[in-house]
Amino acid sequence: MEVISIIVLFVSFFTLLLLKVPVAYSIGIATTLSLLLNIDKLPGLTTIAQRMTTGIDSFALLAIPFFILAGDIMKRGGIANRLINFAKSLVSSLPGGLAYVNILASMLFGAISGSALAAASAIGSIMTDRMEEEGYPRTLSASVNITASTTGLLIPPSNILIVYALASGGTASVAALFIAGYLPGILLGFAIMGYVAFIAISKGYPKGKRATFFEIWTFFRKAFFSLLLLVIVVGGIVAGIFTATEASVIAVLYAAILSLAYGDMKIKDFKGVLLSSAKTTAVVMFLICTSMAMSWLFSFEGIPEMISSFLLESLNNKFAIFLAINVILLIIGTFMDMTPAVLIFTPIFLPVVTALGMDPVHFGIVIVLNLCIGICTPPVGTLLFVGSGVAKVSVTQVIKPLLPFLAIMLVVLMLISFIPEISMFLPRLFGL
Amino acid sequence: MTRSELIFNKVSRILEWIMIVIFALLVLDVLFQVFSRYLLGTSFTWTEEFARFALIWMTILGAAYLNGKKEHLSMDFLYQKFSKANQKKASILIEVLIFLFALIVMVIGGLNLVYTTLHLEQLSGTLRIPLGYVYAIMPFSGFLIMCFSVYHISNIYNNKKENQS
Amino acid sequence: EETSNKVLYLGHTLPQSHPVHKGILEFQKALEAKSKGTLKVKIFPDAQLGSEREVLELLQIGSVAATKVSAATLSNFVPEYHILGIPYLFRDKQHQFDVLEGDVGKSILEKGSKFWLRGLCYYDAGSRSFYTSEKAIRTPEDLKGLKIRVMNNQMAINMVNSMGGSATPLAYGELYTAIQQGVVDGAENNPPSFVSSNHYEISKYYTLDQHSSVPDVLLIGTKFWNKLSDQEKIWVQEAADESAQAQKKFWNDSVEESMRVAKAAGVEIIIPEKSLFAEKSKSVVEDFVKEFPEMAPIVTQIKNN
Ligand code: NA
Ligand code: NA
Repeated sequence: MEVISIIVLFVSFFTLLLLKVPVAYSIGIATTLSLLLNIDKLPGLTTIAQRMTTGIDSFALLAIPFFILAGDIMKRGGIANRLINFAKSLVSSLPGGLAYVNILASMLFGAISGSALAAASAIGSIMTDRMEEEGYPRTLSASVNITASTTGLLIPPSNILIVYALASGGTASVAALFIAGYLPGILLGFAIMGYVAFIAISKGYPKGKRATFFEIWTFFRKAFFSLLLLVIVVGGIVAGIFTATEASVIAVLYAAILSLAYGDMKIKDFKGVLLSSAKTTAVVMFLICTSMAMSWLFSFEGIPEMISSFLLESLNNKFAIFLAINVILLIIGTFMDMTPAVLIFTPIFLPVVTALGMDPVHFGIVIVLNLCIGICTPPVGTLLFVGSGVAKVSVTQVIKPLLPFLAIMLVVLMLISFIPEISMFLPRLFGL
Repeated sequence: MTRSELIFNKVSRILEWIMIVIFALLVLDVLFQVFSRYLLGTSFTWTEEFARFALIWMTILGAAYLNGKKEHLSMDFLYQKFSKANQKKASILIEVLIFLFALIVMVIGGLNLVYTTLHLEQLSGTLRIPLGYVYAIMPFSGFLIMCFSVYHISNIYNNKKENQS
Repeated sequence: EETSNKVLYLGHTLPQSHPVHKGILEFQKALEAKSKGTLKVKIFPDAQLGSEREVLELLQIGSVAATKVSAATLSNFVPEYHILGIPYLFRDKQHQFDVLEGDVGKSILEKGSKFWLRGLCYYDAGSRSFYTSEKAIRTPEDLKGLKIRVMNNQMAINMVNSMGGSATPLAYGELYTAIQQGVVDGAENNPPSFVSSNHYEISKYYTLDQHSSVPDVLLIGTKFWNKLSDQEKIWVQEAADESAQAQKKFWNDSVEESMRVAKAAGVEIIIPEKSLFAEKSKSVVEDFVKEFPEMAPIVTQIKNN
């Protein structure tokens, strides 16, 4: 690999990104410029076109549009409100009660949908107004909502873990990754709740009325069929009834039947939902197309071996290498969206950490949690933008209240990086 | 409404319908795969390949559609700080860059890919259809993206003229 | 034409511990020695450059010079390779390599040039056999109702169905979990892959019915080949032939080692009456000859070799 083509790649990528060229095209154009320095013109261009197409030629990736569709149906079908009411009956009597409701509802929504953006927009749009009525600043609600929504990327189903399974070349199975994500996701949710308890007590945020057992039961009953989806999807995968992709289409069928039964949707509404999900799918999957081309360019130029031998030789300490990888990923996360970052950097770092005895499933959880921080930070932070958008506050206003939450996420990241059992306990228990 | 706006809306509407139909077929196809295995006890060999190819078509056609609607994910933190005039210049530059990528990679690279796979008669594993047909979505969408970019550039340019007069 | 420094990019999908990768290393060593370092080989294992099908396309496109794929994948590009997937085509390993290294095998390698994929040599990829997680396969009757994962390839699907099983095409990456969770009852592969995929950990039985012996093929894209001088072409062919001979030994060692590992893990090795399985699969050959009548003489020629 010539240094010049690396420089061309990074300089052009950043310039394009800053110019507001769409992220997928920034990646594609930078890859094209760099590749043409190394391969003849027509074969080079044809190779990029081929990588963009074959990069998404995978049955496993089908789970992504299906989980997006299931999430969109649930958003339309009144399921978010049912989850919020159930969460409220459980935790609103604590000091700062509504903030916990926001966190718990985001976790519950995350547990039945595959994307953090869906959770942030479904829960955030309802909760910010309710919290403001009780005196919470909108920026605080947004910070809570943004960071709590990332738990949905760890708690299964999770589209980004499916992308990671693909990037790992099958060394980590989707089923094992899904099970592994539960404890880290719940731990992250609890850590955020812990910080909320601290500010709620010091600022004297109100508690709600304690719900009676009967009220909890009523709201549980109303949310029951929504929560059952969680059991069907993850239970179905673990029990071997179907693969992850098949589970995602079952989730679509189930969510459709449920929202028809609730009367929140009619058959004719599905046209609009299919279109909006198809658009979201195209955004995510087209990013995968060009990212796969860039990832191929890196392999072709031997970057993975270069970085891996550099890390292994210059830092001969396992602890230092894990830490270095985490720092590099945090930097990458600030300026790169999650999906391309996973696709491009998994093939680079996975061989290094597995050589040091780390399980590919454990590394999947680490890289995803690490990049969860990245999607909450400027300049490139999709979740930050969506979360501020639904809360109707500007990104710059959110940054200050958001910082302590990011610090909490960093602490959880360190725990999960260096205590493999948090991720690996459940997969081992289930023999995955 | 101008003639080009009418055409643009018509094309967008058609693309929307194609995406909806492909997505609905995808759902039915994979549901059929699960149920045939459990209820009929057989696996049909074509369901997986059909799903993979349909996903490719939906994604790359969808990417063209998103270009028309300017709904791709992009970062505007620096762009916001530009003056109105510079924003206009940047918008034209963005469309030119997208136009060039679509032309060079998607149309020229894509056509060579289609030509190579059709000329060399590669067939898919189970449906036995020429792979070139699957890849054809790449130059086709590339062409649509080029048209959309021209349409956007002419809109920006016309706006500028109206403001001046 | 002058000889000059050239780098041959070679991508394949196997891990570096695999006996076929070791064969490719021999090719690299031999070629660099013959050319005194003017022809270098850069190997990309572990599907770094893409799946078998994708890298074959890159050879045709001209961005990658060489690859190693299974003859099964190759058959979607060069139809003659379908022949090598016929169940029970060869009587034994001796017969197989007499055919592959003889006129028939060479003519099939040559057929690829029309599709810009020139075959250089065959590598031994052994014989594929069934393995199952719960139910033992001792006769073809035991296959009834069992869901067996196969490659997404019509001949493999027809073969398992003709023997009474229920062929289930599934991505290789999903297979470990699918067996473990009972989505499928078993799969089929050669001993080194049975072990390197860790499927032996979750399979109780390995039935050595040896239903097909699909070799691996080392290929070079004609776009790269045509840039070589005559002398360089001779070096490349010689290096390939030498590596093929060395690879057979790597393969045998690996089979022995794999069977030892599987047995030690408690997998029951079943040696069935192969002719019962061969009898059942005859319809596959008949269907094949009907679909590709022009290849019937080659099949007959192989059987009479
Ligand atoms: Na989730
Ligand atoms: Na960021």
